[in-house]
Amino acid sequence: MSKKFDIQEIAKLASIELNENEVKSLTEDLGIILEHVETLSNLELNDSDITIHPLGIELTLREDEVEEGLSHEESISNAPEESEGHFKVPPSMD
Amino acid sequence: MVDLKNMTIKNAHKGLRDKLFSASELTESIFEVAANSESVLHAHLLLMHEEAVQGAKETDQRISKDNMLGALDGIPISIKDNMNLKGHGTTCSSKILSNYISPYDATVVKRLRESGTIFVGKTNLDEFAMGSSTENSAYGPTRNPWNPDCVPGGSSGGSAAVVSVGSALGSLGSDTGGSIRQPASFCGVVGFKPTYGTVSRFGLIAFASSLDQIGPFTKTAEDAKIIYEAISGHDSKDATSLKLKAKSLPEDSSAKVGIVKELMGEGISDDVKSEVERIIKILEMEGHQVSEVSLPMTKMAISIYYLIAPAECSANLARFDGVRFGLRREGGNSYEMSEKTRAVGFGDEVKRRILLGTYALSAGYYDAYYGQALKARNQVVNEFREVFSSVDYLISPTTPSTAFKFGEKTSNPLEMYMSDSCTIPANLAGLPAISIPTGINNDGMPYSIQIMSPELTDSSLLNFSSYIEKLVDFQHAPMKWKKEP
Amino acid sequence: MKLIPTIGMETHVELKTKSKMFCSCKVEETEKPNTNLCPTCLGLPGALPIPNKKAIEMITLLGVSLDCEITENGMFHRKNYFYPDLPKNYQISQFDYPIGLNGVLQIVSDNEICDIEVERVHMEEDTGKSIHVGGGRIDTAESTLLDFNRSGIPLVEIVTKPVISSSKHAVAYIEELRQLVIDIGISHGKLELGNLRFDANISVAHRDENELGVKVEIKNMNSLRSLERAIEYEIDRQTSLLEKNKKIIQETRHWDEKLQKTISMRTKEGSADYRYFSDPDIPNMNLSKEFIEEAVSNLPELPKDRRKRYLDLGLSLEESSHIVKSETWVRDLFEDVQVNVSNSRSAYLWTTGELLGQLRKLNLDEKPKHLIGENLAELICLVEEGKVSSSTAKEILGELIKSDLSPENYAKSNNLIQENDEDYINNLVSQIIKEHEKIVERIKLGEDKLVGFLIGEVMKESTASLNPGLVRELILKKTK
Repeated sequence: MSKKFDIQEIAKLASIELNENEVKSLTEDLGIILEHVETLSNLELNDSDITIHPLGIELTLREDEVEEGLSHEESISNAPEESEGHFKVPPSMD
Repeated sequence: MVDLKNMTIKNAHKGLRDKLFSASELTESIFEVAANSESVLHAHLLLMHEEAVQGAKETDQRISKDNMLGALDGIPISIKDNMNLKGHGTTCSSKILSNYISPYDATVVKRLRESGTIFVGKTNLDEFAMGSSTENSAYGPTRNPWNPDCVPGGSSGGSAAVVSVGSALGSLGSDTGGSIRQPASFCGVVGFKPTYGTVSRFGLIAFASSLDQIGPFTKTAEDAKIIYEAISGHDSKDATSLKLKAKSLPEDSSAKVGIVKELMGEGISDDVKSEVERIIKILEMEGHQVSEVSLPMTKMAISIYYLIAPAECSANLARFDGVRFGLRREGGNSYEMSEKTRAVGFGDEVKRRILLGTYALSAGYYDAYYGQALKARNQVVNEFREVFSSVDYLISPTTPSTAFKFGEKTSNPLEMYMSDSCTIPANLAGLPAISIPTGINNDGMPYSIQIMSPELTDSSLLNFSSYIEKLVDFQHAPMKWKKEP
Repeated sequence: MKLIPTIGMETHVELKTKSKMFCSCKVEETEKPNTNLCPTCLGLPGALPIPNKKAIEMITLLGVSLDCEITENGMFHRKNYFYPDLPKNYQISQFDYPIGLNGVLQIVSDNEICDIEVERVHMEEDTGKSIHVGGGRIDTAESTLLDFNRSGIPLVEIVTKPVISSSKHAVAYIEELRQLVIDIGISHGKLELGNLRFDANISVAHRDENELGVKVEIKNMNSLRSLERAIEYEIDRQTSLLEKNKKIIQETRHWDEKLQKTISMRTKEGSADYRYFSDPDIPNMNLSKEFIEEAVSNLPELPKDRRKRYLDLGLSLEESSHIVKSETWVRDLFEDVQVNVSNSRSAYLWTTGELLGQLRKLNLDEKPKHLIGENLAELICLVEEGKVSSSTAKEILGELIKSDLSPENYAKSNNLIQENDEDYINNLVSQIIKEHEKIVERIKLGEDKLVGFLIGEVMKESTASLNPGLVRELILKKTK
């Protein structure tokens, strides 16, 4: 299992800008942790029924009914920047 | 003023009901403790005095009409600051939510409100519930009332400390890998993590969705049961909320007890082991059948947890991007804005876990890391199931040691993670688990034991814990947080 | 260099549920931004998703109508990527256990029926809307405004296998899919409102190649015309690149309506890493056999079955397709008319041709409420029986559009019924022939055009309206 990872690439995926110090320290930290979990990676485990929920919870679907949610004011109450009822952000490129 | 020494929720309710004191008096006394202790302990991030006074008045009105709502009416409770409480800030002890005001109530908050609970305030935590000492709070750590040079544990350090010192009669915390039980252990109080799915997560700011559970901190298991009954039960707003019936177990000396071999070995300090053995002897004397059981996968628990939890949290924390709420740092375009906002808004541990989780899910690595962890988790579940076919309850240490000092475990992330070795297995299997204080060590720091039981046996576990409490008769010793004049 | 194009279509269909996919907020087309929101669809911290039962029923219905294998144990996955109109910065979607797999949609194109293989049908949630302000183009905007009303609306994604062979087929595919989702009642199917959105994956390769060429994704086609043009443009672009021995980059391109070309987007080449994992907030779906069977029993007539039924009635493939894709009221009217007349083609022509033509001239896009199949059928019968001429019938139709009347009664009371009595006409014909001997001579010598003149004279002389065909017949009998 390759332990080589590029912390900058991962940070890009996670949308976090790292400074130089962080690049170094986080690479080190992740390295230590990944080394610890290596034993787990090397175990031979069955492809047994992977359930995320150990208690086998059954999904109850929701009836298609409308309910009051937040008012317009409540919705934008925490907006860092707002314009004519819209959330405003710097331009997002497609 | 009301004498709060040894005041439990149960006693407080009796006192209110029998009109020994009023809810307003009780609330004032609680706030006085808060006023005296906060400057040292820093357990609350927010105190809600005005609202509490108003709430207490309403309780008193109901008392005068003999119309009390129930066991929690007029009882002062604090809430960990990662649960939404409408109209107030919910910071998760993070800079990125420093200005966020909750526009809605978490289901547990709503249910407590409906029971007449008085909210004292919001308590401090490790940022986004990631940590085992509350040293990761962006607003400064909380100190342990037993010794202010020691950590209160984490991530629900604040919630544990307030019950310990008495600035609330109970509090809510959240437990993902031990974040209720470990601070309960360090602060000498009861901390209960219910069966996964019995308490709604709606309104709890998610860390790891398949592991998070909300639970109470109290002085006694009986009190914990009172809070649990008020907050638990199916919630249609949470798809992982259970509709299943509770199961029961023996709650007296006929209960069969197992000691987990792997949790009494390497890594656990000797004095903690001795304390657990002392309690086991007491149980044996009462006639309990005690046996040693093995859960081999618990050795992998930390690895499994530190792949699943960060993976889930990397997605759960993606919404903190400066767009619709919270902190925002300017950038040339929206990508830059998010990247800079998250760079400034998140602390080191949070960044560490997000990046680890992102990596564990990424293309080419999913199978070896996250995928593998899911398979291993299944094995943990099976092992518990097997073991519970021969015993009713499992006993183990809650933590490898008693409360450690500030800065002791911050040099290397793995060191801190090891504090969770005993608590993580119950989260992986979704099982109920509780930490109850049992004694004091030579440094005046509290000991505890952890008890685990099969899923849906929460009520029995709480009753059994009450039973053990009586046998153990834990006595609070003077705490060192107050500098005597 | 003969290069064969291969096209795959990815279509998103908005379901017409009352509430959103994972919360109870209203699904509504509204101008006011950020009015139908709750913690869940706004992506506030602590919110949780609860899947909409109706949406699951609808997608199951779609899966069944496409002959898909329905996954009983479907699950939701998180598709992780950062974008401001995606509140949680992950979209709840489906990855390796989608609701439907391996289906097929029958289309008609170039007068041929062909089957388009559908790879998968899955459930997901829509994102919010971004409005780029200032500058005009996306890359020169000053800021972006976000409206999350659309966030969380149930979307079904349908992905075909790369089996579509031309732009015309692609258009026919979308038209058929659109009709299907309208007919089974799961979507309004209005392209202009974004109820149906599509992207195309296009590649070209040599006829002899075993592998497909490099695939390019084309986005931002807002109409069927843009779809056709974009595909044509892209095929040409790729073909000329390969002819010049240049490589085709795997990328996403935008169709620019103004410039009528596909433009490269400045994002990374290759595919994004979405880090799919099963959503821990939503347990597995566990659709019971009964649930799926109920969907099957609820299936209404599908477009392909309707088309076959019309073929059996005698319509051509083109005509059947046309009616199948018409608005529901047109189809229903056609069927009501058709049972009451002997010739289905007449029913077709009068309903889709004449009636629609007249309505269009009057700026009406719906039939008047009083106009029912029986009236129109009655009118058609009058024509078929020769009682009125075609042009008279068109006039009567004009009246029928205006008010509720019986065409036969109207014709009678307005003296429009054609006289088909041969004796009566013969008398008139004899009379006219006598009066125009010179004309008759010229007709006998081959000037057939002059027959029309004689017909006209006969008509003028008559007190009743005459069947022009019959008049012509009788004139010819007498003159040849």
